[in-house]
Amino acid sequence: MKSSMVLIKNLLLSTSQWNIYRLCRDKKKKGRIIGNFIGYAFLYLMLMAYGVFSCIGYGKMGLAEVIPMLCALTISLMAFFLTLFKTNGYLFNFKEYDMLMSLPFEAKTVAGCKFLYMYIKSLPWNLSISLAMLIGYAVYAKPGLSAMCLWLLLSFFLPVIPMLAAAFIGYIIARISAGFKKNNLIQTLLTFVIVIACFCLRFVIESLAKNGRIEETLTDISVYLSKAGKIYPPAGWFVNAVMHLKPGDILLMTGVTLLLFELVFIPVGKAYRSINSKLKSHAAAGKFSMKEQKSRSIYNAIAFKEFRRMLGSTIYMTNAAIGELMALLLGVVILFVDVDKAVSTLTRGAPVTKEMLYPAIPLIVYFCIGMVATTAITPSLEGKNYWIVQSLPISKKTLYQGKMLFNMYLTVPFALFATICMCIAAHTPLLTSLLSVILSFCLCAFSTVWGCVCGVKHMRLDWENEIEVVKQGAAVSIYILPNMFVTTGLIVLTVFLGTKINRDIILGILILAVTFLAALSYKKLSSLAA
Amino acid sequence: MKPVLEIKNYTKIYGEAKKAADNVCLTVEAGDIYGFIGHNGAGKSTTIRAVVGVLDFTEGEILIDGHSVKSESVECKKITSYIPDNPDLYENLSGIQYLDFIADVFRIDGKKREEVIKKYADAFEITDSLGDLISSYSHGMKQKLAIISALIHEPKLIVMDEPFVGLDPKAAFTLKQIMHELCEKGTAIFFSTHVLDVAEKLCNKVAIIKGGKIIDSGTMEELVGKKSLEEVFLEVQDEK
Repeated sequence: MKSSMVLIKNLLLSTSQWNIYRLCRDKKKKGRIIGNFIGYAFLYLMLMAYGVFSCIGYGKMGLAEVIPMLCALTISLMAFFLTLFKTNGYLFNFKEYDMLMSLPFEAKTVAGCKFLYMYIKSLPWNLSISLAMLIGYAVYAKPGLSAMCLWLLLSFFLPVIPMLAAAFIGYIIARISAGFKKNNLIQTLLTFVIVIACFCLRFVIESLAKNGRIEETLTDISVYLSKAGKIYPPAGWFVNAVMHLKPGDILLMTGVTLLLFELVFIPVGKAYRSINSKLKSHAAAGKFSMKEQKSRSIYNAIAFKEFRRMLGSTIYMTNAAIGELMALLLGVVILFVDVDKAVSTLTRGAPVTKEMLYPAIPLIVYFCIGMVATTAITPSLEGKNYWIVQSLPISKKTLYQGKMLFNMYLTVPFALFATICMCIAAHTPLLTSLLSVILSFCLCAFSTVWGCVCGVKHMRLDWENEIEVVKQGAAVSIYILPNMFVTTGLIVLTVFLGTKINRDIILGILILAVTFLAALSYKKLSSLAA
Repeated sequence: MKPVLEIKNYTKIYGEAKKAADNVCLTVEAGDIYGFIGHNGAGKSTTIRAVVGVLDFTEGEILIDGHSVKSESVECKKITSYIPDNPDLYENLSGIQYLDFIADVFRIDGKKREEVIKKYADAFEITDSLGDLISSYSHGMKQKLAIISALIHEPKLIVMDEPFVGLDPKAAFTLKQIMHELCEKGTAIFFSTHVLDVAEKLCNKVAIIKGGKIIDSGTMEELVGKKSLEEVFLEVQDEK
């Protein structure tokens, strides 16, 4: 127990920005840390505001009683997916593995502490949602003090079970892929398969909960959420605990969480050294023979380097390419489904037709593609190797342009494919299709340049683990959250405006606006590169 | 007297057939300074990482003070120290925070740790920098810090992978002195190096590894005779 505490304390201290701020003598770096802190505080408030406003919405619709379930499901889903993408890199194949494993720790202790570290780091985000939803619930449902205290207490337990499930899946993936020579690629593919399976499962569960009926929206949400507690019992325990103060459910929630924590790390601990040995070993074939070498332009050489960098890291690849994968799936699936029925299902029977969605097609695609821009990640990801590009006879601007070229290579084909498929499936007129394709391209360009601005402005090279850059980096957070909120807002706005004015005009305005924003971002980037 | 380190038929196979270490056997006793030499990719680091319990291995047994690295790894690590060739330390900790962490792990009391840290930090002339972030250290300073952290709990066995790389001449001299001092106290030292002159002057025993196999080993006198270690090394590399 004592060694676990020492290790957790050290893991937290070694990634603490406060510790760097305290010890660092570089004023610029200190300023950057304060900037990042303000950025995080802003994002934190945004997330809380989102939570409060969505609860107000439910409260005003007279659905305050579904807020606890919504809170449990939101936190559980968020914890599950974020952990799934982080397991490789935090639990396995991490940088300081040799150093930690040469110290007198049980493998199980190292794995358990790494998990707890991951849990503690995600706690502020989970608690912000929980607290926001508690505020909304308190306003409309007026629960007692004990219920509110229980809510807060159990919020600490809520993310643990889904995180353990994700960590266990991550362990299975690592164990399987460790048997392959190209274990990075196998790990990435298996992670994608799990993510897709989870999305499919979500629709299956949703349709099961609805029993094939598309009911009136409000009842539908209520019925769906109440059934979710049966499908995912911990959410039900949380609801029963905070709404009905049932001691049995409180005990189940805490007891099962603690029991699972103990159980999961038994097999993980046993296979820990063997898995990491395989994942960290790169056996040399020693059979290289020189073939004809291709020369590339500087931009393509940088883009190719970025491509190889992405292939070499499961964490980077699963996070960076998930949007492209979703766009690809969206494009393929949309060709085989009845679009009218799909629109009706997804909008839960709201009076929305496919024609109303025409101007939103590129934005829907962008919701997937723009989820992550590699340009927000790669400047920081250079890390200790930054000296390599710094010592090359190229300007910073050329370097950034190469990085942007890679993001364009990665996003444009998928964005155009998905947009064209959606236009074909929705039978959009030719001009609308053309404008949609142009807007999709512009959105890719905007995402690329805006991502690069965020990546360069919040570049952090002194990371310990890639996850600190790929998932928790200030650059990624500042890029992703406003981007997703604004895109969601724009989708709603374009659908609404589409009922009032010509849809092609809306697309035209959006093309101009996005191009203007991309140009503005590029100007900013140029000044950063100067 | 039981050996401090005993490697018996250690074999590590990567992938399907690539043998990084093949039936390696060697014994390091208390007070030995054992040099492990071989060209790049010969299997030195693979063997060393298996000894310190970082790398899983395919066949054989590694015993530290009679404890199996496979089944009693924590017991082994309690009496072992490892200095990797390129230490991956926590860059965002200060030097003293890192040393405190290692001392906490080995449960060294405050007075003792203060004494040891001061002694070695003074010897390596990094006392003034201990309050700075490790990220601001040069490679040599990081290496010095890793060495101090390895000495903090007075281990029975010190395993080092290329410990002299990155050290300035004075620090290299200090390290050699410390190694002699420790070996006189009964500590066993097992280290890999490319610097054959250093190995010849420092070690009482040596093993030469090639293609994962030990091709020669023994005391320095037995192995070298009237030649230099460099000559012997080049001869056996060409022969076997």
